[in-house]
Amino acid sequence: MIHFYHVTKKFDRYSTALHDVTFQIEKGEFVFVTGPSGAGKSTLLKLILRQMMPTEGQVIVNGRNLNAMRRGQVPYFRREIGMVFQDFKLIERMTVFENLSFILTVLGVAPKEHKKKAYSALRAVSLHHKMNSYPLQLSGGEQQRVAIARALINDPLVLIADEPTGNLDPDLSNDIVQIFNEANLRGSTILLATHDRDLIRSSGRRVLSLVQGRLSDEKIAAPEPIAARGGESLFVNWS
Amino acid sequence: MARDFIPGRREPEVPSGAISYFIREALRRLWISKRTSFVAIAMIAMSLLILGAFLLVSDNLERAVERWQGTSRVTIYFTADVTPQQIQAVDAWLGAHGDLARRKFVTKEQALTRFRSYFNDLSDVVSQLDENPFPPSFECEVAPRIAQSGALAPQLTQLRALSGVDEVQFDWEWIARLRRLVGLINIAGFIVGGILAIAAAFTIANVIRLTMMLYREEIEIMRLVGATERIIRGPFIIEGILQGIIGGIVAVLLLFALFATARSFIVPARSLLWGFLFAAFLPWPKIAGLVAGGMVAGWFGSWLSVRERP
Repeated sequence: MIHFYHVTKKFDRYSTALHDVTFQIEKGEFVFVTGPSGAGKSTLLKLILRQMMPTEGQVIVNGRNLNAMRRGQVPYFRREIGMVFQDFKLIERMTVFENLSFILTVLGVAPKEHKKKAYSALRAVSLHHKMNSYPLQLSGGEQQRVAIARALINDPLVLIADEPTGNLDPDLSNDIVQIFNEANLRGSTILLATHDRDLIRSSGRRVLSLVQGRLSDEKIAAPEPIAARGGESLFVNWS
Repeated sequence: MARDFIPGRREPEVPSGAISYFIREALRRLWISKRTSFVAIAMIAMSLLILGAFLLVSDNLERAVERWQGTSRVTIYFTADVTPQQIQAVDAWLGAHGDLARRKFVTKEQALTRFRSYFNDLSDVVSQLDENPFPPSFECEVAPRIAQSGALAPQLTQLRALSGVDEVQFDWEWIARLRRLVGLINIAGFIVGGILAIAAAFTIANVIRLTMMLYREEIEIMRLVGATERIIRGPFIIEGILQGIIGGIVAVLLLFALFATARSFIVPARSLLWGFLFAAFLPWPKIAGLVAGGMVAGWFGSWLSVRERP
């Protein structure tokens, strides 16, 4: 579903965000991307969403080479990807319902369906009672869950989340991972960037670890054999 | 279930339901940035008001010309010391020339009475004079076909040479001049109105550009969730068009208010000179044209600004 082939991303001569990164994520997988701040996690996610282009190498998502994709094709491609941003990126002047309804408008869903779909997506994150609230009236955790509901409203092929539990307490973090698990069971491929070690450890999922823009070779213990994943992924023992 | 990728699937760039979203958003943005929108609407209204005023005057002038054209007239004014014999001689001459035979004699007194009825506000001036300044005259009705043909020119020359005749006035000559004036007013109206409309379009462009700057973050979010440029720009285009339409409607209402006010002052005074300029308001097609002009200016302005990627 997501293929990185020798991807390098440089912002200038002295600043390399990713260096020769190669990995492959299969359809239906749930993968964590981890690493310290500045390791290149967000850059990696931006490359998948085609917010930026690699300096070298190829990024292929859902069979499409993003390097070769025309600008006019990008919006249609993005509609197949659900993205949960670190800073939520909710439209502040719109209510929670309107934030979700806008996505449905973009996707061409008939307006009469909007209420039902938005309610159902918000119910999945237990925020159906906040449909008419504005983002700034919600707590950070609630805003995060609205952002997740927005990303999931169309059952995306790929769901990408950048530090979705960054500002949340452990209970809420587990709830959010549970929402991602359910989306994964429905068929979405999940890529979740986080530096929450407890979350990764308890998930037993595959982990891609980045250090200074490179896929780290640090791999110790894993709930599944590395060979089963093709060798490029890393399983980190945090103990 | 997650939506599966269908190779070659082409989704519509502007999905159904997007139009109502465009209008809703455009109205909301108009309301949110009402001060800047007001400037744009005022600019459009002002330029269309000026264009409309030119159209109104030229339209009424043209209508008057059409009316006068139907009854082309030759007026023969006599000198102050004309004798009855000289008048009889001219009368006989007119009787002998078929094209000018339909004639009416207007005495000095009749001319004075007519002036007083046409130019009510100037009647006092005439009363202060020692004697009636208006000469007697013959008014001959000429068929428009003959007037247009130019066949009257030699006869008018002969008329001017008759004794006791002071001046021979042929309506057709000044109707032609009036027609040229109407044409000039129209051209001037379109030039002035056009320049102002372009200026208004640029004002709208700047207002929309400003709005787009305010919404830059929101636009970025829209792009990230898969909105096409058409979906992003649609509300801005509609906003410009709405500003133009509102400006056009305001211009028509203001023009009508000015027209009604002018008429209420002029009609009681029964001033022929100004009365025909305000005989009737613009016809519906021209009203619709003004509003459509506003719409086009609004569309052009917003199109100019959304061409640039915010």
